[in-house]
This record gives sequence, structure tokens and C-alpha cells, in this order.
Amino acid sequence: MFLHQLITLSAVTVDKPTGVLGALATGAEDFIKVFNKGGTVLLSLMGGILPTLIVLLTAVNALVRIIGAERIENLGKAASRPGLQWYPVRYIILPFVAVFVLTNPMAYTMGRFLPERFKPAFYDSAVSFVHPILGIFPHANPGELFVYLGIATGIKELGFGLGDLAIRYLLVGLVVIFIRGIVTERITARMMAKAERSA
Amino acid sequence: MEGFTNLIVRIGRGVGGVVGTLYQAGRDSVDTVIRNVIPFMAFISFIIGLILTTGIGNWIAKGLKGSASSLPGLLLISIVCAIPILSPLLGPGAVIAQIVGTLLGVEIGKGNIPAQYSLPALFAINPQVGCDFIPVGLALGEAEPETVEIGVPAVLFSRVITGPLSVVIAYFASFGLYHTSK
Repeated sequence: MFLHQLITLSAVTVDKPTGVLGALATGAEDFIKVFNKGGTVLLSLMGGILPTLIVLLTAVNALVRIIGAERIENLGKAASRPGLQWYPVRYIILPFVAVFVLTNPMAYTMGRFLPERFKPAFYDSAVSFVHPILGIFPHANPGELFVYLGIATGIKELGFGLGDLAIRYLLVGLVVIFIRGIVTERITARMMAKAERSA
Repeated sequence: MEGFTNLIVRIGRGVGGVVGTLYQAGRDSVDTVIRNVIPFMAFISFIIGLILTTGIGNWIAKGLKGSASSLPGLLLISIVCAIPILSPLLGPGAVIAQIVGTLLGVEIGKGNIPAQYSLPALFAINPQVGCDFIPVGLALGEAEPETVEIGVPAVLFSRVITGPLSVVIAYFASFGLYHTSK
């Protein structure tokens, strides 16, 4: 009996408030609606991505600690050699390994093994890779995850898998940093020659 | 007997080392998540809430829909982001790229922008990556001051070429991505 009363009570609808107070009330509801929606989004982000991210970060951080940052120094030395066959090492392999192992921003310290004329190009190449790597290895730059994740969330909303986008982002990223390295190296060389002539 | 004790000590030390490494790795990752990831998630959630509940979303959708769902439009975005004066201003913390990425994500989720444009869009919103950080990045690589002086404009000019180029490459690489065969 009591339960029945409760149900009928809750079924009663109230007229929408009118007048100045009514407008204020509607305003208040709209105001809080923004944050309710935001809260729902936050919860779905934290529930959906964070647990995986924390476990993945832990595993990769441990791996990087076991490998040891000092071991990739030999690669840096190899990448400083002149010659065409070292271009892919300098602007694909070295940036990839540096960003993966040292992460943003310590990856740029690998530039110290290169001669001065390659340094701007290496920086350009490495810094351009801190986002394409995020789809598969988010540990490399977790503070800027949403460059990728913002768009990826939309794809997820449509019910599509993220693997295809993540791997293509990574691969196209590698092509782009290679081109960027070469272009910047050429521009640097030209500007250095010009500065030398005027000096 | 001594050999046996040594073995046990060595195993103990090894296991302790591995567990310690894993534990420290866990501590590092939780630290990163709390200090870098969750604050940004909170900020992004607020923006998404604002977009979805107010009319701002429709207004942005109209603006972005035209430019983000065609190759020329995406090229235009990348050229603007790569302008040598603008690119260092748009760079810091990749905040702009993250916000625009989130806005595009919302529109992709609503079906206003085709899903296969997600790949070129990722490059179109980001030709300015690291443009604010060139002197610091070069200093981390122990570059001479003369190199920094030349390196900053060299990278900025390079982006004018490689920014739009990256969008074109990504556009061609996106064929077959999220293709619906109907």
C-alpha cells in the first residue's frame, strides 16, 4: 500500500516554473547540465582508458628501466655518420628509439651525439614523432594524449576499432619524420653556408 | 655450502631487483597519470560537456564540417598552423592540437565528419608540434648557440613545406580506412 502510494506520488508532474524565477530555474538546470554531461564524459574516459593506460605505462616503464637509457647511446653515435644509408637511421630509427625509451622531452638529448649541422633536423624529426607514437605507446607522451585520443574517441563512438587508425598514424608518422628530417637538414645546411659567407 | 648460499643470495637479489623495478615503474606511471593525464581529462571533459549541451557544438560543427571533411580544407588548416609566426604560439603543451582534436573527435562521433578523415586530420591539426620548444630541445641536444640561431628558423620554415605535405601523405594513406562496403 505504502509502496503503491510512493509510485503514484513520483508519477505526479510539476508545471514548468514561469516568470523571472522560472527563467532562473531553467538557467540553473541548463548550467548544471553542462557539468553533468562533462562528468559523464570524465567517468567514461577514466573508466575506459585509465586502467589500461596505467598497466601499459607500468609495463613499458619497467621495460625501459631494464633496457637502460645508456644502451641506446651507441645508436646515436652510429646515426651521426655521413652518407645516404645513415639517413633512415638518423631520421627514422633514432627518433623512434629515443622517443620510445627516453620519452618526451628527454628524447631530444640524443641530439648530442650528432654533429651541429644535423641537430635541428634531428630535433624536428624527434619532436614530430611524440604524437604519432601515442596510438600504440602512450607512455612516450602521456601529458599530450588527447592529440590522438580526442579524434580516437570519436572513432570509438562510431563503434569502429582503433587498431587501424593507431597503426596508420604510427607508420605515416615515420614517413613524415623522415621527410621532415631531410628537408630541415637541407634548409639548415643552406642557412649555415649563408651565415658563413656573411661572417 | 658456500656456493649454495651465494646462489640463494644472488636469486634473492635478482628477484628483489625485478620487483623493485616493477614497483618503481608502477609508482612512476600512477604519478604521471595523476599529474598529467587526469587533469587534462578533466579539462577536456568540461569542454566536451560544453559542446554537447550548448549550441556551441552546432556552431563549431558548421565551421569545421566544411574544412575538416575535404582535402583542401585540411590543407588550409595545416597551412595556417604552419605559418612561422603562428606555429610557436600554437605549440605550447600541444593544448591547441588537443582541443581541436577533441572537437573533431566529437564531430566524427556524431557522423558530421567521415571517419576516414581522422588520419589526415591528425596531421592537419599538428604541423606546429614542438615549434615553441626548438631552443630548449636543441639545448637538450647540447647544440651551440650558433646552431640554435639557425635551427629555429630552419625548423619553422621546414614546417611550411612538410606540414601540408604530411596531410597529403596521410590523405593517401587513409584509403581503405574505416571503409564501408555498401
